[in-house]
Amino acid sequence: MKKVIDIFPLAIFVVLLIVLFSFLSEKDDQLETALVDSDFPDFSLSALSNDNKTLTKGDISKLPALINVWATWCIACRVEHPFLMQLKNESVLTIYGLNYKDNRTKALSLLERDGDPYEFSIYDFEGRLAIDLGVYGAPETFFVDKNGVIRERHVGVVDETVWEKKFAKYLNE
Amino acid sequence: MNKLIPLFFLVFSIEISGDEENKLDFNNDAYPFSSEAKETLFYSLLNELRCPKCQSSNLSGSNSPISNDLKREVYELVLEGNSAEQIKSHLVQRYGNFIIYNPPIEPATYILWFGPFLLILLAIFIILFVRKR
Repeated sequence: MKKVIDIFPLAIFVVLLIVLFSFLSEKDDQLETALVDSDFPDFSLSALSNDNKTLTKGDISKLPALINVWATWCIACRVEHPFLMQLKNESVLTIYGLNYKDNRTKALSLLERDGDPYEFSIYDFEGRLAIDLGVYGAPETFFVDKNGVIRERHVGVVDETVWEKKFAKYLNE
Repeated sequence: MNKLIPLFFLVFSIEISGDEENKLDFNNDAYPFSSEAKETLFYSLLNELRCPKCQSSNLSGSNSPISNDLKREVYELVLEGNSAEQIKSHLVQRYGNFIIYNPPIEPATYILWFGPFLLILLAIFIILFVRKR
């Protein structure tokens, strides 16, 4: 009996260690995706390319699509830019941009220089639509299915691996 | 057994002093209100809501762009006459339970709410067990 008691603290310690370590790797640093399986939110914002043009949810009409939150101040966005260009060039699916808290001129000249993977970009200087999407920062990417429902969200750079793992499965539904 | 009582107070003393430090000096001109009730609601919400970017700070303690956007969102919702519960659920719908420091008791948060008590019970159990010998 005494031996059992002696081992007890160590046993609890080991169990705690295993449990806590498993939590560390489990969530893969991803934030909670509150909006998955809900409709894409309504919005009314100007187009990045034209201050006078108002865009609404109805303009996001080529579905399924990716909604990609980006900005010129966001370095990681430049990392994923070539992959977004590849998706566009291979006509995999439509990508809509949500230009987030950015300078319009800088954003447009970046698209001119590096290529524009977006059907169009929504200009969200105040972060209005971003809040309705639960956006924390850039880059973030949402998959919207053919019914206009958000199916997946990815925080961080989208590359080949992320695309295959998280998004590709929704394309052929 | 008497020696255990101070231990109890030590364990439970941590949460007690939580509210005092949150009385920050706000620039009232930034968020003008017509009624004191709304103003109180606004500032109490800023203390209860978490900054999504900084994660260990509430909205009132953060000046990050996303926090300022959320302050504006809360401000507008307060002006529209929404209740604290409505505003919190509005933000939870978008950002998840993560945004509130006081998450609801539901299966996903059982470990959060009841885990500490289980650990305390376990500790008491061990202490009593060891002392008996």
